[in-house]
Amino acid sequence: MSQSVIGGNAVAGGVGKDQPLGFNHRPSPSRVRLDACEAKDQPAFIGYLPYGFPNAEGSLQAIETICRHGVDLVEIGLPYSDPVMDGQVIQSAARIALDQGERIAGVFEAVELVAACGAVPLIMSYWNLIFHYGVENFARDFANAGGAGLITPDLIPDEAGEWIEVSDQHGLDRIFMVSPDSSQDRLKTVAGNSRGFVYAASRMGVTGEQESISASPQTLVETTRQAGADKVCVGLGVSTGDQGAQVGAYADGVIVGSALVHCLLDDSGRRSRDLQEGLNLLAAKSDELSLGIHTARLS
Amino acid sequence: MTVLDQLVAGAREDQELREQTLPLEALQELAKAAPAAMDAHRWLKQSKAVPVIAEIKRASPSKGHLGDIPDPAALGRDYERGGASAISVLTEGRRFLGSLQDFDQVRAAVHIPVMRKDFIVSDYQIWEARAHGADMVLLIVAALEDQDLKSLLDLTHQLGMTALVETHSREEIDRAMAVGARVIGINARNLKDLRVDVHRYQELAADLPVDVIRVAESGVFGPIELEDYARAGADAVLVGEGVATAEDPQLAVSRLVSAGARVKASESRPLGQHEGPYFGQYGGRYVPEALVGALDELESVYEEAKADPSFLEEFARLNRRYVGRPSPLTEAPRFAGRINDQVGLKARVFLKREDLNHTGAHKINNALGQGLLVKRMGKTRVIAETGAGQHGVATATVCAIFGLRCRIYMGQIDARRQALNVARMRLLGAEVVEVTQGTRILKDAINEALRDWVTNVKDTHYLLGTVAGPHPFPSMVRDFQKVIGEEASEQLREEYGIASPDAICACVGGGSNAIGIMNAFLDDPSVNLYGYEAGGHGPQSGEHAIRFAPGTGELGLFQGAKSYLLETDEGQTLDTYSISAGLDYASVGPEHAWLRDMGRVNYSWATDEEAMSAFKDLCETEGIIPAIESSHALAGAYKAAADLKAKGYEHPTIIVNVSGRGDKDVATAGKWFGYLTDEQSQALEANEAQGSSREGE
Repeated sequence: MSQSVIGGNAVAGGVGKDQPLGFNHRPSPSRVRLDACEAKDQPAFIGYLPYGFPNAEGSLQAIETICRHGVDLVEIGLPYSDPVMDGQVIQSAARIALDQGERIAGVFEAVELVAACGAVPLIMSYWNLIFHYGVENFARDFANAGGAGLITPDLIPDEAGEWIEVSDQHGLDRIFMVSPDSSQDRLKTVAGNSRGFVYAASRMGVTGEQESISASPQTLVETTRQAGADKVCVGLGVSTGDQGAQVGAYADGVIVGSALVHCLLDDSGRRSRDLQEGLNLLAAKSDELSLGIHTARLS
Repeated sequence: MTVLDQLVAGAREDQELREQTLPLEALQELAKAAPAAMDAHRWLKQSKAVPVIAEIKRASPSKGHLGDIPDPAALGRDYERGGASAISVLTEGRRFLGSLQDFDQVRAAVHIPVMRKDFIVSDYQIWEARAHGADMVLLIVAALEDQDLKSLLDLTHQLGMTALVETHSREEIDRAMAVGARVIGINARNLKDLRVDVHRYQELAADLPVDVIRVAESGVFGPIELEDYARAGADAVLVGEGVATAEDPQLAVSRLVSAGARVKASESRPLGQHEGPYFGQYGGRYVPEALVGALDELESVYEEAKADPSFLEEFARLNRRYVGRPSPLTEAPRFAGRINDQVGLKARVFLKREDLNHTGAHKINNALGQGLLVKRMGKTRVIAETGAGQHGVATATVCAIFGLRCRIYMGQIDARRQALNVARMRLLGAEVVEVTQGTRILKDAINEALRDWVTNVKDTHYLLGTVAGPHPFPSMVRDFQKVIGEEASEQLREEYGIASPDAICACVGGGSNAIGIMNAFLDDPSVNLYGYEAGGHGPQSGEHAIRFAPGTGELGLFQGAKSYLLETDEGQTLDTYSISAGLDYASVGPEHAWLRDMGRVNYSWATDEEAMSAFKDLCETEGIIPAIESSHALAGAYKAAADLKAKGYEHPTIIVNVSGRGDKDVATAGKWFGYLTDEQSQALEANEAQGSSREGE
């Protein structure tokens, strides 16, 4: 016998470094940051921007801008050809990024940048992109870059066996979504499988700015907490500081996407704006949102 | 001295110490007084599950310290509640930090089989296991000579226990089998990177008799490895670290158990009655959470309806009196003549005439079925996507009968090449939305329909037109379409006196007409099944919708399901091309993907040119103008005939599914064959469908 293999464990050869990963027990990075915000009695400001929009370099500047203007966690979007959960603004941004030759491997630079700025880097991606990259490979590269977790708009916990196993091994957060019509059972399933926080969609529908935010997200946040979620952040439709303050009064974090992306699009909504002009608008928008969100509980 | 030798020597020393205070005879008395062992066999092999043996382990020589496990009984109870079928308790104390006290605590706490896992080399240890209430023991082939292995195995059986006999090579498996092992543990870890090596497992497990239980014994951490092993044929898995060190061991076990149940269900037979969500590894529900409620509702309403005779009666009545079913099965001798001349065969060809259904295609079968479900659900608004327009017309028709509001999404390019169908939908009262996003074809229409659905799911049903998308669509649409094959089978027998066809040909876009005609024949291996994808300008051109040929589609997730997908090296959906709008789709129904992998259906393609040539052949020989989609199946019949000839058939019976009629394609065909003057062509171009264009939000 050339090697002994005993009781299900290889005991020959190198020990330790070649072993498959076990559970990574690092605390949830999103949770740690949300707790820190909580300690200051502030909801977190979570900003979304797509990587590669208006182009790779421009997106890094945009991401750095929101990091310097109050964002606590950054959702870096991966542009996808068929974004069924996105409205017109983010669809346009994704299309522009893909036309500019966006490559997924570049996103890790954005992740490092966010981490270096002191914000928490999350990636939001339609699942086929991660699946095609290889879930394990993506998790490894993402964790190495300092990534915290993934938001998965079209991956429900029921289909997430591979991602749950891999994220447990790399200590990454799993942010699944709930929506206003989710049943008690679904809320429990999502809360039970999420790590970091649960993403509560403020309304039925796709991403995009709204004139007003209805009262329903508050109920959803409450029922999601009752279903076992420790942290619940609210997204879809928040676009102003006032709305941020309104939602931040009850949510652990306020997620803003289209309103930020919009700053970088021209008036047609289909092409990108002059970058410097866009970055100035983005900085001002972030300041407005940061102020609204971070002072939500002062009154 | 190898590590194994050291472990065995240590275990023997420890046993001798114990024997000094408790001699074998006294131990045997205790063993006889113990409650009888449970029969572990029935726990370890189940038709609908992959049993999990969960292990209580504090440390191992390879991974060092894993966890303290202060309360093994509590952990055992967690495993049992999570659905474990057996628990393995390490009793080796030196390197694994286990003990018989651990074993006793677990034994007392659970009601499932418990295995003593140790380095067992003596009768004493077997009696000891039994005296402590063990149902199973581990025997390691590598640690034992043949005669010792045999006598320990015999003693284990004699005491009513089950031995898990651990092997890690072909030679060890042979030795285990030779002495009568009934439960074989196979260690198939790739020793280079220590990952599960499924091919190695398959090699090792190959030719084991069916009554031997195969336990995958190493490298199982979570659902990924469990699925790999189960698909490779493992009956059960043994899991250590992945459950023992989990934050929530009960949840970790239950995830494994449900992954196992899912794998078993995904491979259930007979093929003709297989139910989703999974077809092998394909299918599922890759959708936003916001749609889960609607899909669950649809699934339960459909399940209820299927079992309700009044639903089935109404469906059958509408099929008969409104659609005009059964659609005829027409023999096509002159068309067969062209095939026979080309191939050198004496085939008889029959056409299943879905083109003669009301609205001119098979799409009405499904639209009607789902329309009845919409009424049952009490929803008032229907949305649908359409490529060629046939499904849009069928949906608009059904909404007209049932008084439902209807909106059809159609890619701008498709709306222009199928202008007549746009007008038909409008006449039927539907709102037609021309989609200008993305590539402006079928997939973009589906994206837009999904966005609408996510927003309006409360009162809206998405009437998906094919056997793709999230569960329950692939199974449900199949059920509404399978009447095609059922009728064809009966008609061939009753009207033509032919017991069964030798071959079926159908075109495959999403795949609903193909599944519809093939379902009745899936479990009859004497029927050769052929599916033809849209070859466009050929597989090398990059302008096609071939998902199954080598170098085309890859495993991917698209619009709700896992299947084959045309995608870039970044996972972005590739543009597709076909002269036929109805086949111009980047993915394909998950059941087809499964049938392709198992080799049950032969998939190939027909190019634009081949399809148009067959289109004309049918027009000229049989006086039937087929849809360009169906022309791909007709072109395929030439290829199927050649294949049948190569297989030795001389007088085969071939059924071709003519899924739709070609009125809508007359302009395209007129241009293709040069029957229109330039002026006429231009007039047709100018006469574009003017959908209200949709820019999204």
